[in-house]
Amino acid sequence: MPETIQIAELVNVTKIYSRSGGETTALSEVSVKVCPSELVLLLGPSGSGKTTMLTIMAGLQKPTAGNVFLFGKRLQEFSKPELQQIRANRIGFIFQTFCLIDSLSVLDNVLLVMKFAGFAKDEALQRAVEFFERLEIKHLMRAFPQTLSQGEKQRVAVARALATGAELIIADEPTGSLATQQGMLIVDFLRKSCQSEGRCVVIASHDERISNFADRVLHLRDGIIQLHNPILS
Amino acid sequence: MYALKTLLKQYRRFVITSFGIALCVVLMLFLLAIYKGVADGSVRYISDSDADLWVLQKYSSNILRGTSLIPINQGNIIKEIPGVSIIAPVLFFSANINMPGVMGTVHLTGYDITTGKGGPPEIYKGNSLTADSQIILDRAFATKYKIGLNDKIPIKDDTLVVTGLSSGTNMFVYQYAFITLKKAHSLVGFPGIVSCFQVKLEEGADKVKIAESIRSRLPNAAVFDRDTFLQNNIHEMESGFLPMLFVIAVIGAIVLTALLSLILSVYILEQRQDYAIIKALGAPAGFIPGTVVRIALILTTSGMTIAILLFFPLIKIVEKVTPEVAAVTSPGQIMTVLAGLLIISLISSLFPILKLRHIYPLELFK
Repeated sequence: MPETIQIAELVNVTKIYSRSGGETTALSEVSVKVCPSELVLLLGPSGSGKTTMLTIMAGLQKPTAGNVFLFGKRLQEFSKPELQQIRANRIGFIFQTFCLIDSLSVLDNVLLVMKFAGFAKDEALQRAVEFFERLEIKHLMRAFPQTLSQGEKQRVAVARALATGAELIIADEPTGSLATQQGMLIVDFLRKSCQSEGRCVVIASHDERISNFADRVLHLRDGIIQLHNPILS
Repeated sequence: MYALKTLLKQYRRFVITSFGIALCVVLMLFLLAIYKGVADGSVRYISDSDADLWVLQKYSSNILRGTSLIPINQGNIIKEIPGVSIIAPVLFFSANINMPGVMGTVHLTGYDITTGKGGPPEIYKGNSLTADSQIILDRAFATKYKIGLNDKIPIKDDTLVVTGLSSGTNMFVYQYAFITLKKAHSLVGFPGIVSCFQVKLEEGADKVKIAESIRSRLPNAAVFDRDTFLQNNIHEMESGFLPMLFVIAVIGAIVLTALLSLILSVYILEQRQDYAIIKALGAPAGFIPGTVVRIALILTTSGMTIAILLFFPLIKIVEKVTPEVAAVTSPGQIMTVLAGLLIISLISSLFPILKLRHIYPLELFK
């Protein structure tokens, strides 16, 4: 049986946070693998470990125990510049609060990350416009984030995450600040991007409706994967 | 691009900060200009003189501070030395001018008007001395006390008519005034003494040999070549209050560095989330520190630009209000301040850049 190419893999990962009041186990010996062309939903209530799993998967923090593999290489083997390059070129982020830079226009927000990814100016502009068209926000290119609606902001954030051609999209509660219909449109767009462009999208959310779009759903509670549902084959 | 857009996003703060920096820069430029103006004014009398040798009383080294008294007949001995062309005896002493609206001190300089040597470096207005009853005042002194040509000035028991105004004779603390040597002797009450001889040599004469000759014939005299004498006076001038101006300018620069560092720290605090986003999105390691430095450079550049626009009109106003303040600005000074600002930008960025280490992408994940 041919081996599935993995984007990221967590093997017996444990994450413990030390605080003044004691220790908190955010993840407890979890193992999960995510691959291209799939949308994986991490479903669970607040404090279940979804965001911790996301951030470890993205290389933003190291586990207390266990191994993390990102694009086939152990996380510990990446140098800081290598991790920075990975995040610029191969990982895209979508945040609940959008996290757009207010002092830059919509276009500049996207061009900034493309600059980090090493795109030439002309190519960056072309790709940015292409995604703006697909997300139907081309008319907002020169606008500033403060003037946009929540839905428009999230679409800009999606454009920013996808424009670099990132293979792994990390989305932390992407629908959390949006109305239902807007949120589902965003997730649908991500789903299509998975299928057409071979990306892997990992969404952390407590919104069960996203399950309708996911290839797999991992139910987390208290740092443990309680249920692992492959929804679509 | 990002640095400039960050600043322009809060346009009012950018303008106010730039103005604040501009005022610090104006202060530094002003102090340096005063320093140069006073320094030049203090020694221009010597630097503009064409004397090859200066002869003073033994153990005297300058004419700014200290007393030098030499018998005037010793000039005859110097004159006999082969190679000596012109001897200019000069008598310096301080005198108070007391009249309605004027209470000042001048550095009276009595010189031989037949040779013209030892007189003012430049006549700004009016004429040279032609009679003992005349006086040439420094233009700053005259402007300050609203004294014009042909006005009468009481000095001791005498009254002199202002025949000319000189420039290059302003020592800030007080100014030169020129009278004939004969009048100087009469005011001092000792006709047989001078403060120094300014010696002009013939073309091709051996300066060193003649200086030695003077020393051997006048054992109670100190002989200096022009350059050494100029340095002595510069040294004397710099040991006065002038270094204080420089110190104040340096303090101004330190204050500016601290203020700029604080401003940059505030920017970082306010842009914390932006920097966390930029880190999360894979910015190269030097991008954010580079942005902080660029912000510092943009602020100091705009401050410098405003300072240049403000400085020259301000100097004109200051010179009008306090004429004895002689400010001299040179391109070198401006370049020095610019270079200083560059260094200030870099140093003031250091502490805020250190704070960047404590901004984490994880802050974005709530």
